[in-house]
This record gives sequence, C-alpha cells and structure tokens, in this order.
Amino acid sequence: MLTVLIYGAVTSAVLAMLAVGFTLIFGVARILNLAHGAFYAIGAYCAYSFTALLKLPLIVSALLSVAVVAVFGMAMERVLVRPLRRSSLAVLMITLTVALTVEQVLFIAFGSQSKNVPAFVNFPINVHGVSVDGQRLLALAIAVVLIGALWLFIQRTRLGSAILAVSQDPEAAQYMGIPANRIFTIVMGLSAALAGAAGVISGPFLSVRPTMDQTAMITAFSVVIVGGLGSIPGSILAACIIGYSQTIVAFYLNPEWTGTVSLVAILLTLVLRPSGLMGRVVNA
Amino acid sequence: MGKRNTIGAAVLLALFAGLPPLLHNHYLTGVFIVCAIDGIWAASWDFFSGLTGRENFGQALFIGGGAYAAAFLNGNFGLNPWFSIPAGIAVAVVFALLVGFPTLRLKGPYFALATLASAAIMQQVAINLWQYTGGSEGIYGLDTLIESSLGFYYLVLALMVATVVVLGLIARSRWGTIMRAIKGDETACQAAGINVTFYKIASLAVSAAFAGLGGVLFAHYQQAVTPDDFDVFLSISVIIMAYVGGLGTIWGAACGGILLNLMLELMRGLGEYRLWVYYVILMVVLFFMREGFVAPLWRRLRGGNA
Repeated sequence: MLTVLIYGAVTSAVLAMLAVGFTLIFGVARILNLAHGAFYAIGAYCAYSFTALLKLPLIVSALLSVAVVAVFGMAMERVLVRPLRRSSLAVLMITLTVALTVEQVLFIAFGSQSKNVPAFVNFPINVHGVSVDGQRLLALAIAVVLIGALWLFIQRTRLGSAILAVSQDPEAAQYMGIPANRIFTIVMGLSAALAGAAGVISGPFLSVRPTMDQTAMITAFSVVIVGGLGSIPGSILAACIIGYSQTIVAFYLNPEWTGTVSLVAILLTLVLRPSGLMGRVVNA
Repeated sequence: MGKRNTIGAAVLLALFAGLPPLLHNHYLTGVFIVCAIDGIWAASWDFFSGLTGRENFGQALFIGGGAYAAAFLNGNFGLNPWFSIPAGIAVAVVFALLVGFPTLRLKGPYFALATLASAAIMQQVAINLWQYTGGSEGIYGLDTLIESSLGFYYLVLALMVATVVVLGLIARSRWGTIMRAIKGDETACQAAGINVTFYKIASLAVSAAFAGLGGVLFAHYQQAVTPDDFDVFLSISVIIMAYVGGLGTIWGAACGGILLNLMLELMRGLGEYRLWVYYVILMVVLFFMREGFVAPLWRRLRGGNA
C-alpha cells in the first residue's frame, strides 16, 4: 500500500513536470507543442552524453542538459513556430516534424537500444519499512521544488505578471508595453527546461531510447486535457490522478494496460467535461 | 472542370497505369500499390478534415479497423477475401459513428486529441488482447485479392481514382458547400437551419468508409495486419500527405500521398539517414509552402485562377 503511495507520487511528479510546461506554453501563446516529448527525450539523452560519454560531474551535466533543452526550445519557437503561429494546424505540423526529426537524429546518433543514465543517488532509502531507490525520491523532491519555484516566479515576479498578462490578452498586453513575442520565447524556454529536467531526473529509472518522446507526449497530453488546457493547478491535479491510476493499474492489474489509462482518461474527459477539471473554455 | 485539368488528370493517370507494366518489376509494382493506397487514405482524410477544418489525428482508427476486419474474416475464419471490402468499410463506419457522436462537438485541439486517443486505445487493445488479435505480431496468412501483383495494382489504382472522383463530387455538391460553411462558422450554419451534427457525422463516416477500404486493401496486399495499422505515426503520415498535397482539394491530397511515397522510395539509397532527410524536407515544405505543394504548383502551372 505504502509502496503504491510512494511510487504513485513519483510518477505523478514527473508527469506534472511534463504537463505543466506543456500547458504553460499553450495557456500563454496558444501553441500546442507536439515537440514537447522531444524536449524530454533530448534532456535524457543530454544527461546520458554528458555523464557517460564526456564524464562530466553529475550536477554540471544535469544543469548543462537543462540549458541545452531550454535553448533548443527557444530557438524552435523563434525560428520555426513564430512565423507560422497564425495557423494552428501549421504549428501542430511543424512541431510534429520537429519531434520526428529529433527522434531520427537520436536514433542515428545513439542507436535504438536503451541507454543507462547514471543515478544521482545510488542507494535505496528506507521510508517506513518500504525501500525505495533514492533516485526516485530525488526526482519527486526536484519536481516539487521546480514546480513550486515556477509558481512563485509567475505569481510574484514582474516577468511572471507579464506572462500572466499576455496569457489573458496578448494584444492588450502589447499596448501596455509588454513585448508579447519575447514573452512567448521565454515561456517556451521555461517549458522546455521543465521537460528537459524531467528527462534528466527520470532518465536513470526509465529506459532512455529514441522513441521515449511518444509515450511522454501522449501522457502529458492526457494530463493536460484532464486538467484543462492552460491551467497549471489543473495539470498538477490531473498528473496526480493519472500518475496514481497508472501506478495502481501497474501494481494490481497488469503493467501492459498502464498506457491505456491515460488514453481512456482523455476520452472520458473530452466526452464528459471537455474543458477539463479546471480549464477555462477555449475558443479554438 | 477546365480543359487543362482534364488533360493533366489524363496524363497523370496514363503515367500511373502505364509505368508498372513497362517497368515490369515486381518490387516497383509493390511500391506503386502502396502509393495508390496512401492516395486513398490521404484523400479520405482530406475529405473530412480538409473541408470541415477539424483535424482528425486518428485516421488510423478507421484504417486499422478495416484492416483487422479483413484479418478476422479472411485470416481467422477463412472467408472469401472479397467479403473483406464491405466488412472493412462497415467496421470503419461503425467506428466513425462511435467516435463521432461524443467528440464532434469538440473543436480544434480537443477534437484532434480525442481522435488521437481513440486510435491509440484501439492499438493498445489490439496488442493486449493477443489471444484474439495475435498481439504485437498481428494476424498473418491473409489471401491476396488478385493473384498477379499487376492485377492487384490495377484494382487499387481503380479504387483510388474512384475514391478521388466520388469524394471530389461530394465536395463540389451542396453537401461539400455545407462542410466548408461549417469550417467557416458553425454557429451561423446552425442559425441558417442546417443540421450541423448530421453533416459532420455523415462526413466523418464517409471519410472513414474510404479509409477502411484502404485498410482492407493494405491488409490484403501485405497479407498481414499488425497493431501498427492503428499507429499514431500512420495517422500523422496521412495528415502530412494531405497537407503537402494541399488541404481541401482531395485530388491534391491523393497526389501528395503518391508523391511522398515515391520520394521516400527514391531516398532508399540514403540508408538510415533516409527518414531524417525526409523529415527535414517536410519541415521545409511546411515552413515555406503553407498552402501545400502539389495543388498550388498545379494552379501556377495551369495559370489563371483557381
């Protein structure tokens, strides 16, 4: 029972990191970024390259990986997405091809076998009689800290207020002298950094392979849909619901069906309450 | 129908009908068969999504539905393979109704996600219920529809032309006008007394029927089905084909399917870099040619207005 509680929390936390970034860029810039899973994969592969191939210290390679992903995300927004932003289908298609291209590059560079990212914490930790490997607990802690920090950043800082303003009305924000385009790039960077960080910290206990972005993408999608597109608290809540459902299904039924959980959740939400648990109504 | 359009279509058709027997190469005939099947899929996607503006990210649900219907009837129960065609179409239409009723009131990204999820669920089901579906291995040992590959090719080519003509005619009719009006302003259509729900669901069912037909042909061509027939990647490839062909043109979408397939085939020499180069080309096309490639190119070649 406690095992399920702890593992569920870890799964939920990683999911929340992915989903919060995804929902943030949608909420602010109305960009449905299908390359979000690719950010996650790049993060994990960077962590692998920096630690296993370049033998850099763990902390350095973790920070470097997150930075690489953030720069990649900002570059993608600036070069590829911005000129196409007026057509939502064009944005979907271009981010999709970015995701496919990244997958192929990873495949060519690293091959299709899964890679091992060294764990940051190598020893098991005993939590009330349940032994959990330290990396998972670290992932949980880092996820909570990062999401908390993002929340404070948005609610408390000047830049955060600018982001909120743009998300409510980009045009009005522009009149107030907020450079909406620059905000979009910054938010894409933040969103990518979060996804990259999720890849870095969960790399050690997941299989790092070129196709990892797909599952991540679909699960993040489902979390965001269940929580309501554009709502950060909604995605955190939904991440917990889906994270725990997946863990429960994996423990008590069959790990094979975990993938189905998130998909059924998407369909149920869309049929019963299309705007999600805490979403505002979006006019697409 | 302008005169030049007719000539263009005739030349293209003559090329596709004449090339395989001239080349007389079993492998290349196979390539052309896959091209034509992709043409059917892309045209079927474009009919619904291109005209109504609701991007369906789960066309593979209908493709896989048709393919598995063929596999169950012919592969498992040994029925005559020709039964697969009506059965596959029927299954795809049922799927379209099941998915259409709850999801078609959704807009934009929500509809895209709902369709994506339904296809992915069916894929999972096909993998997990391995007792019936053969799991990730799928079902193999299907009969082919026509023994000679050239004969099969002409069947597929004829069905592709029929698909493009039928869907094109519907698109030009009152029905097609209503679909385009729904894309423009759904509320206004409703206010004008048009039964929007009926047209949306009926259009999705028509789109599904042709996708299912393509699925049946694909299953009998491969003589096997796998859960990949439901894959997100397949849905996405179909969308890319239609996009490159030119959204809302139907014939352009079919040409897009053929063109991308031939391109992928020509790049076989690039080995493992093939897909990478392919995606980069796609990215460039998407970026610089927002209206697609085939249909706008033809408009320019032909001159005059659309």
